[in-house]
Amino acid sequence: MVRKGYGIEPTEHILDEFPEHSTFDVAIVGGGPNGLIAAAYLARAGLRTIVVERRHEVGGGLATEETLFPGYYTNPHAVYHMMTDYMPLFRDFDLDAHGLTFVKPNAQTAAVFSDGTSVMLCNQVEDTKDSIAKFSQRDANRFGKVMRSWRRLVDDVIAPGTYLPPMAPMDMIEAFERTENGREVLRLTEMSPIEIINELVEDDRVRMLLLYAACMWGLNPHESGLGFLVPLYVDRAANKALCYGGSHKLAGSLSREILRNGGVVLDNAEVTSFIVEDGRVTGIEVFDGRVIEAKAVLSSLPPPLTFGELLPAEHVPTELKRVADQWEWDDWSFFTLSVATNEAPRYETDDPWVNDAFMVVTGFDSTEQLLRHWDNVLAGRLDLDCVGGHATVETRYDPTLVRIPGHHVSFLQVHVPGDVEGGWKARHDEVAECLLERWSRYAPNLTPDNIVLSTAESPLDIETRLPNMVRGSIKHGAYNALQMGVFRPHDTCVGGRTPVEGLYLCGASSYPGGLVIGGPGYIAANSVADDLGAQKWWTPPRYVERYRETYLS
Amino acid sequence: MHEETFDVVVVGGGHNGSTIAAYLAKSGLSVAVCEARPECGGGQENTEPRPGFRIDPHATYLYGGAAPGFDQLELWKYGMRMVYYPSMSGVVTLDGVAANMGSRWRPDIGEAANRRYSPDGSGGGGGLVEALPEPAMRELLRALFWTPPHPRQHEIDEADLPWWQVFRKHVPELWSERLLDMSYCDFLEEFVPWEPSRVAGAMGAWYCGAHPSWDGMMLPSLGGVMLFGYSGGSPRGGMHTYAHAIIRCAIAHGARILTNSPVEEIIVRNGRAIGVRLAADASFPEKTIWARKAVISGADVKQTFLHLVGRQHMDAGFAQRIADVSLKGGSLFVMSVICRELPKYHGRDDAFPEDVYPSCVVGPADSMDFFHTQTRDAYSHKKVPESLTPEHLTMMICSHDQYDPTRSPEGYHVLSPIYLECPPPQYDAEGPESYNRHKQEIVDAALALLERMAPNMHSDNIVDVFVNTPYDSEFRNAGMSGGNWYGARQSADQWFGTRPMPELARYRTPIDGLYMCSQSMHPGGLCLMAVPYNLMHILIEDGIVEPASWWYPSEWYVPEKGRPKAEVA
Repeated sequence: MVRKGYGIEPTEHILDEFPEHSTFDVAIVGGGPNGLIAAAYLARAGLRTIVVERRHEVGGGLATEETLFPGYYTNPHAVYHMMTDYMPLFRDFDLDAHGLTFVKPNAQTAAVFSDGTSVMLCNQVEDTKDSIAKFSQRDANRFGKVMRSWRRLVDDVIAPGTYLPPMAPMDMIEAFERTENGREVLRLTEMSPIEIINELVEDDRVRMLLLYAACMWGLNPHESGLGFLVPLYVDRAANKALCYGGSHKLAGSLSREILRNGGVVLDNAEVTSFIVEDGRVTGIEVFDGRVIEAKAVLSSLPPPLTFGELLPAEHVPTELKRVADQWEWDDWSFFTLSVATNEAPRYETDDPWVNDAFMVVTGFDSTEQLLRHWDNVLAGRLDLDCVGGHATVETRYDPTLVRIPGHHVSFLQVHVPGDVEGGWKARHDEVAECLLERWSRYAPNLTPDNIVLSTAESPLDIETRLPNMVRGSIKHGAYNALQMGVFRPHDTCVGGRTPVEGLYLCGASSYPGGLVIGGPGYIAANSVADDLGAQKWWTPPRYVERYRETYLS
Repeated sequence: MHEETFDVVVVGGGHNGSTIAAYLAKSGLSVAVCEARPECGGGQENTEPRPGFRIDPHATYLYGGAAPGFDQLELWKYGMRMVYYPSMSGVVTLDGVAANMGSRWRPDIGEAANRRYSPDGSGGGGGLVEALPEPAMRELLRALFWTPPHPRQHEIDEADLPWWQVFRKHVPELWSERLLDMSYCDFLEEFVPWEPSRVAGAMGAWYCGAHPSWDGMMLPSLGGVMLFGYSGGSPRGGMHTYAHAIIRCAIAHGARILTNSPVEEIIVRNGRAIGVRLAADASFPEKTIWARKAVISGADVKQTFLHLVGRQHMDAGFAQRIADVSLKGGSLFVMSVICRELPKYHGRDDAFPEDVYPSCVVGPADSMDFFHTQTRDAYSHKKVPESLTPEHLTMMICSHDQYDPTRSPEGYHVLSPIYLECPPPQYDAEGPESYNRHKQEIVDAALALLERMAPNMHSDNIVDVFVNTPYDSEFRNAGMSGGNWYGARQSADQWFGTRPMPELARYRTPIDGLYMCSQSMHPGGLCLMAVPYNLMHILIEDGIVEPASWWYPSEWYVPEKGRPKAEVA
C-alpha cells in the first residue's frame, strides 16, 4: 500500500504557519474531555499550555457530528452526562455564563416490555416509586429507602473519591472502616451487581431495569470487587444530563477557557512520539515533523499507546511495558443505530410519559434475557435473536441538533463484543437492519416512510473515529479489579505522575476511569501544577475536602 | 450573570462573521457572534459523516493566501497550517486525454502537458499571468479582492480602478480597455489554444469566481483562477482548520461565540439596528442581545433584509431590489465519494502518478459546448436535464488525501467535493426540491461517467456517497440563500461598486448601525477574509473601531469625504 504523501515544500513564502519548533510549559496529547480539563486548569494557572489533537475537532467522546448527512447532527459518543452534579470544573469555571446548559429531565430511564408495560426511573424518586409500584409495592417502598442511603454513599464516598488520587487497597479498607457509609461501600464492593440488585428488589422486571442501569457502562454483572459502583450507576441513572447544543459544546467551552488564558489548541496533529532527553520526556513530535517542547507532557492515551508506541521502547519502565502489553480493553462496546425521522419514535406502552424518557430500554422482559445477551457479549458472541438496548430521542430535549424544522434524531444502542465472528465490516448492515426491526416492535412508527436517513456505527467505527478506543473501548480499558482504583493503569502512576520524569497520564485509562467524569484530567492538573510550582487558583469542592478530612487524614 | 450587551453583535459565525469578530475583538471591542449551528465556520467546514472520513461540503481550497488577515490576525498563533500540492489541477476528456497541469510549485509538470497537448505548446493566458510574478501578483489579487469599493460619490474612471493601477505599474503594455469588457470565455477563446484547457479554465473560473460567460467579468474570473493557483494548496486537515484559526483568534481576544443560537430578528428602532433576537430554543440563555455600536450581518443580503430586518423597516422599492438581487451562479450540487482507489483515468496508472496526482480534476473537458450546455441547464432551462448524458455533467473532482493523511484512513480515499453546476432552488422550474428528488439519478449518472473516464471507479471501488444540494445547503447554512456560495450573482451589475447594489457597496445599509459582512458583498465568497478586511475600512471611517498598529488599509482604498480615514493608527 502506498503511504499517503505529505505535500510539497513551497518555494515561496505564502503565509506564516504554526512554527516547526515551539516551546510550552505543558503539552497535552489528546484533546478529549480529560485533556481539555487538565489544559483549562493549567492554562489558567499561568502555564503556557498546548493541546495536541489528532482529529479535526477536539472533544474526543464529546463529539457532535453531522453523522446523518446532510442536516442532522448526533452525539455519536458521549450523550449521558452523569457527573455534572459533582465535577469540580462546573464550579471552577463559569461555563454557564457562556451558554453551556445541561438539561436533566425528570423522566430518565425507562424499560418497555413486550406486553406494553413499562417501568421508569425518574429524577424525583417518588415518581420512580409510583412506577415501580405497578409491579410491586414492596419494591417501590424499599427502592425509595435504599436510594436515600445510596445517595449518601455517592455524596460522601464515591463521588468525592473521583477527584482525588486513589488509595492503596489496604489504606482504603482501613479508611472506609471509619464510617458507616465507608463500611457499606466496602460491603457492596465484595458483592456482584446481580447480588446487589437481587437484594434490593424482588420483581424481575424491576430487577432487569436496575441491573441494566448498574452494568450498562461495563460492570460484569457476575463479578464482585467493583460493587461500590452499583449505587453510583443506579443513582446516576436517575441523574443523567444532556448537554444542550450537543456534547461538543462542553469541549468548546473548555477550549475557550484554554484560549482565553493564552493556551493553544492544535488539531489535525497526530502525535507520533515523545522526545526523551537524559531519561526525561521533554516534548512531543507531530506527524508533520513539528516539534513541541514542554516541561510536562500529559498523555490522555491508554497504556498500549502511551507506553507501547509513543514513548521510545528503551525508556519504558519494565512494569509499564508489562501494563502496555497486557492491558485489557473494555469487555464490551456499543453498536449504535441512528435515525433521522419526520416524527419521533413513539413507544406503545401503558405509560405515555415513557415517550419523554431520556433513555428507553427495550428488548428484555426478564433478567434472564438480559443476562443471556450480556453473557453472549462477554463471550465474544452476538446472538441476534436475543438483543436489546437503550434508545434516546436526542431532539426531544435538544432541537438544535436538527437543521430541518420539526424533524428528529434518535438512536438505539446495544452492547456488543469489541470484535465479532466474521468481523464488524461484514456484519455491519445485517446488525443495523436487525436492530431497526427490533426497535420498531416497540416503536411501530419507525416505518420506512418516517425514516429520512439512517446510519450505524459498530465498535470498529468507534475505533476508526477515535483510535485510542481500541475495539470500541469507550473507557480506554476494562473495568475489573486489576485495572481499577490504584491499579488504573498501574500503582506506579498514582495521581497521573509516572516513573518517567516529565511524563504524566491524564486520560480515561487512569484512575478513576472514563465516561466523562473528569477525574483523570482534574487529578493530573493538580499534580502538574504542584510539580511545576504553579499557583493553584482553584480549591477542591467542599465535599471533596470533607472526604479528604474523613478518609485521608 | 449572562452578559447581554456588547459593542458589536455579529449575525452568523461563518467565514466572514467570525473573521470580522476576530478583527474587532483584536481591536479591543466586545463582540458576540450568534451562530445557528453547533459549530462555526459556515462554508469553511469539514464534516465526518462516516467515522474517519472528512468531506468538504462547500469550500475546499485556500484561495485567500494573499489576504492581509494572515498577518494582521496572526493566524499562525492559532494553529494555521498548510499543505502545498505538487499538482493542483488536471484535465480529462472522454477520448483519452489526461493532462496534469501541476501547480505553481511544480510548473514543469504543466509545461510538459502543454508541450504534449497544446497546439502551440503553450498554456495560453495572453501573457497576463506569466507577466505578473511576485509581488505584482499579490498586488493584483489585493487590488481585485482586498480593496473596498470606492465611495459612491467618487466618480470612477478607468485610472481609478485598483486593478488597472496594478497593470499600469507593472505591465502597462498588457493593459487594454478591451479587458474590461470581455467575458472570461472571450479571453479563453482568444488566448488559450487548446480546447480542454479552455473547459478547465471556464470550470475553474465558475468555481473560483465570476461565471466565465458573464460580460465584463474577465478580470474577476481570471482573478478567481489566480487565487486558486496562488496558494497552491489547502489548509492541513481542510478548510475548517483555517476557520478554527480565525475563531480561536477571536476567542483569544475575548469575542463570545454563541453556538446553537440562531438569530431570528435584527432589532431596529427609529431606523437604527440595536440588537438581535435569538430563536426561543437558542442555547444562549438570554434571547435578546443588544449592540452598543453596530450589528453586523454575516447572512446573505436577502436573508438579512427580507427575513432578519423585515420589510417593515424599508421602502417598497428597496425591498423589491433586494428581492431581485440575482442568486444565479454559485449554487452547487456537491457529491463526496469514499473509494478505495483514486480514479485511474483511461485505466492508465501513469496518467496521474500517485506522488503528483492532481488535486482537482476537470472532466469530461472535451468541448466548450459541454460547458455551455450545463450553463443553459442551470440558468436557462433551470431544471435537471432530461437525459444526463456526458455533455450535461462536466465535473470538478477534488481529492486532498493523497497529500493530507488526516482526511481519511489508510487504504481509502475521499473524492470531495465533486461539484456540478445547478440552479438555485428558488429558480428551479420544477420546484425547489427538484434536485433532491433527482439526487440518486444524478449520482448514478455522474458515477457512470466517472467510471467511463476512469474504469477503476466501478461499484466495488466505491464505498459510500454523500450529497448536499443547494436545497440542503439552505437548511444547513441559513445565511446561504440558494445554497449560493457567493450570495449574489457575480456579474458586472453586481460587482465592486455595484455589489450587490450601489447603495450597499460600502457595506453600510439604509439602517443605521447595520453593516453587511457576507458573501453577497464585494468581492464575494471563497473564504478570503476579504469582506471583513474591506468592511474594517468602513467601520474605522464610522468611528466604530480603532485598530492598533497591526492594521493597514488597502493601497487602493479611497476614503469617504468628510470622514476619518482608515489609516494606520
